[in-house]
Amino acid sequence: MSRSASSRNTLWPYAVALVAVAISLFPIYWILTIALKNRVDAFAMPPVWLFSPVWENFGKAWSSTGFSGAFFNSLIVCAIGNVLALAAGIPAAYYLNKKRVPGRRTILIWLLISYMLPEFLFIVPMYVLFQSVGLYDTVIGLALIYQVFTLPFTIWLLRAFFADIPEALAEAARLEGASTLRIVWTIYVPIAAPGIAATVILNSIKMWNELTIALALTFEKAQTVTLAVAGFRGYASIDWGAMSAASIIIILPMALFAILAQRRIVQGLSLGAVK
Amino acid sequence: MRREKHIRWLIAPALVLLAAGTLYPVIYSGYLSLLQWNWGSEAKFVGLRNFVRILSGSGFPKALFNTFYFAVFAVVIETFLGLGLALAINRIRIGAGLIRTLMILPLMVSGIAVSLIWKVMLDPTLGIVNYLLSLVGIPGPAWLGTVPTAMPSIIMIDTWWQTAFTFIILSSALKSLPAEPFEAARLEGATPFQTFRHVTLPMLKPVLITVIIFRTIDTLKVFDIIFGTTGGGPLRATESVQTLAYQTAFKSYRFGESAAIAVVFSFIILALCIIYLMIDTDDGEKA
Repeated sequence: MSRSASSRNTLWPYAVALVAVAISLFPIYWILTIALKNRVDAFAMPPVWLFSPVWENFGKAWSSTGFSGAFFNSLIVCAIGNVLALAAGIPAAYYLNKKRVPGRRTILIWLLISYMLPEFLFIVPMYVLFQSVGLYDTVIGLALIYQVFTLPFTIWLLRAFFADIPEALAEAARLEGASTLRIVWTIYVPIAAPGIAATVILNSIKMWNELTIALALTFEKAQTVTLAVAGFRGYASIDWGAMSAASIIIILPMALFAILAQRRIVQGLSLGAVK
Repeated sequence: MRREKHIRWLIAPALVLLAAGTLYPVIYSGYLSLLQWNWGSEAKFVGLRNFVRILSGSGFPKALFNTFYFAVFAVVIETFLGLGLALAINRIRIGAGLIRTLMILPLMVSGIAVSLIWKVMLDPTLGIVNYLLSLVGIPGPAWLGTVPTAMPSIIMIDTWWQTAFTFIILSSALKSLPAEPFEAARLEGATPFQTFRHVTLPMLKPVLITVIIFRTIDTLKVFDIIFGTTGGGPLRATESVQTLAYQTAFKSYRFGESAAIAVVFSFIILALCIIYLMIDTDDGEKA
């Protein structure tokens, strides 16, 4: 093989990667520039590539009705949702990691199906129920209903991480008289900590970005950040700047997650499918 | 192994949440679908009339068609693109981690932000996309604004958003493949294409099936990026089953009819789940 052919062979994947990265990032970059442009530049045609950034759009988006409240609601929903998912999911994952326990196969299939059913099968009954028990338009209610997808995902992922932990460790602890809960807490949880981190990150992304259920089950008090951003939708032609700034605000926390925890995210996403 | 006492209690909290979150709504939806019930008024039992109504009307069949149109194209494109990218980037030694981090970013973006980003970029007169097209002499279409281009635009948006998912999973799967079969193929003088066709692809098949099934179910449930861009228009050209269910329940307040839509659609998705479990020879191990 000639030298030029071999360098061509190592270079083309980089060319492909460059194009893919450019296409992946350009829309986010572009919306960021619009958020940082003044009104005239944002609507300029041909587009302005060089401009001096202004920050007023971010102030406008953040102080628009209900936005900051919605931002914090989403944080609280993520926190409660993760606590619930781990509290119920960790013991369940330990249980289902055992080969011979009653109902194992049924529960596993149930988990898969509940993860896959369309939201509107749950939403209408939940709307009726939540209205009558006072959970409608509350962050607790939202965190509870989110368990329909966070719990199966949590159990599924943690079970795969637990499967890698040698049985002998638990066996030794049991001989010393440790209870099952103690074994889960002192052996499985610490060893699977990276897996738990991956689970929390992926669940947070999913809950933070969720729109469909929040749209139907909240009204005002418990409005989430996705709904606050959706509120800019109707004014698309009027105020691109504030709308773009709102989009950047909702993207930013998850983008930071992606950059800081890329390995965990990849690991978590792949585990269900590759293992 | 020693018998563990009380181990059943470990699964109890999860079962309670699952029952409340899925079992109750499934049963209640089934019941609701038999009622004529506009939220706020008296409910009336109408048997299967809701089902007859949605199946004989034009709205639901149209939404079902749109949904499958979207799902088939989005899944095929995302799978091929994701596989191609995974194969290419798998050859990269230096910088692959950084490339993956950057390519994963669209996946982190909320569907509603994705909608707004593309609404701005695809604006027929002020959008960057049509401007770039005009530079090379192509008159850009109205994208989300006309019946023939609206759904392809949504498919394009989903491709930008979700290809990272297929890419990441197939990329991890490629990295976990054993080296020996590739070594053997190389020694036997196989061309890159032969290696791909007879070594890579068969070993990748289980993961590929999983990815396709997951993307299929996810795309069939499409809601955010339609709600955020076209709201189902123009002229219902992008109305999906889930946006129709939303309209029916929360704009027209016909809860019974919305439940009927959700029930029929759930059976379709359930059928796909069953096919998945049947293909998956692992005996539910992957579930």
